[in-house]
Amino acid sequence: MSKAAAKLSISVPLELAESVRRRVGERGLSGFVARAMLHELEREQLGGFLAELDEALGVVPKKTLVQARTTWRKR
Amino acid sequence: MAEALILDAEALNALARARERSVLAERARAILHVAHEERALVRVPAPVLAEVYRGGAIDAPLDHVLNGRGIVVFELTANVARRAGALLARAKLGSAHAVDAFVVATALEFSSAVIATGDPKDLRRLAAGFGQVRIFAV
Repeated sequence: MSKAAAKLSISVPLELAESVRRRVGERGLSGFVARAMLHELEREQLGGFLAELDEALGVVPKKTLVQARTTWRKR
Repeated sequence: MAEALILDAEALNALARARERSVLAERARAILHVAHEERALVRVPAPVLAEVYRGGAIDAPLDHVLNGRGIVVFELTANVARRAGALLARAKLGSAHAVDAFVVATALEFSSAVIATGDPKDLRRLAAGFGQVRIFAV
C-alpha cells in the first residue's frame, strides 16, 4: 500500500547529500527525506503550540522548566 | 527509534484544558518545552484516548491538541500489547492497569523516553529496571 507521492526538486549541500546516500543508498533516499521532513514539521508544529500556550497563559516558571530538564537528563 | 516524550491521560488532558488546569498544565508545558529543545518526538499511546475521550463537544479541546500541533497518536500494535501484558505480570498488576502498561510498552518502542503522567507511582512500578525510561509527574 503506497500513498500518493509528490516529486520534489530540492537543493541540499553536496557533502550532506553524499553522506545520506552512503548511509541509506539511492533507493532509501525518498524514505529518509520523508522521515526527516515529517520530524521537522512536527517540531515546527510543536513550537507553534508552545508559543500559543505561552501567549495565552504566560511563560512557564523557570523552576518548573529546570525540574523538567533534570528529569529529562536522568539516565 | 528516536527519543520521545510519551503523554498519559492526565498529561494530555492538562495540555488540552490548560486554562482550567493551570498548575498541572504548567508542569506538562514544561516537559513539552524540554521535548522541543531536545528535538524529541511527542506521542500519545492510542489506548490513552479511551481514558480521555467521552464523545461529543466535550472532546473538542483534545481534537485541537491532536491536530497539527506536533503531538501524535502512536497506534497500538500486537507487539506493544503483548509487551504490556508481560509488564503487568512482572509488576504483579491486573488488567485494571492495562492502559498504564500500554503507556510504558509504548515508551519502550523508543531508544529513550520520558513519560509525563499523573500517576507516577504505578508507572514507576511498571517501568522499573528500564533505565531508558524516565517518569515525570505532572
